[in-house]
Amino acid sequence: MSYQEKNITVSLLSHILIAIYYLTNLLPIMQSGEWVASRLYALWLIVIGVNIIVNIIASILTNIVLTIVEAVKSRKYEDPRFITDERDSLIELKGSRVSYITYSLGVLVSIFAFIFGQSPFMMISLIFAFGILAEITGDIAQITLYRRGM
Amino acid sequence: MEKRQIRNNIRKLRFLNNEMTQEQLAEKSGVTRQTIIALEGGKYTPSLELAFRIALAFGVTLQEVFSYELEGDEK
Repeated sequence: MSYQEKNITVSLLSHILIAIYYLTNLLPIMQSGEWVASRLYALWLIVIGVNIIVNIIASILTNIVLTIVEAVKSRKYEDPRFITDERDSLIELKGSRVSYITYSLGVLVSIFAFIFGQSPFMMISLIFAFGILAEITGDIAQITLYRRGM
Repeated sequence: MEKRQIRNNIRKLRFLNNEMTQEQLAEKSGVTRQTIIALEGGKYTPSLELAFRIALAFGVTLQEVFSYELEGDEK
């Protein structure tokens, strides 16, 4: 497993955790049907904030852990060369395309939910949910491409 | 239009160059080992620039590394 694959796997895990947190907090609100604005604003802010912070921390930790693992493996410290090449960029682009398609469909579903009588809060909640889902599908697409070779 | 695909002799050229490892070739051409593996397996087609860098790493011309052949034609 290359450095990029490990990085994306960590990113995928963090996105799955954020999705679980978001859904476990959102579902009770949806089931009760009480769309309390302050609770939803707090939830959306937490999800956005945690997503950014967790991604930064996960990326830094992955770098540190991989450097230590490489040093232990080779029994000497070498400046790690976590290079990315044109194939990595291409895979990243393809992953972004999958994310973009997922998110676009999600926005469309959310708009239709609003048109068919759901509340605006429901629409925004769905948009957030599909945003997280888009990140997950993008990560999965990238891992699949790495596993297949391209 | 007839269907063609890009093939390469990277594996053979590595063998002829004192059994150069994939890691060494990757270092010389500025890519990761995974990219060399994908190239050798025919799963990835390199950019023109990378193709030239690989040819330079072996000290041969582009045509000696890559060929554009009809699909299904085996050497």
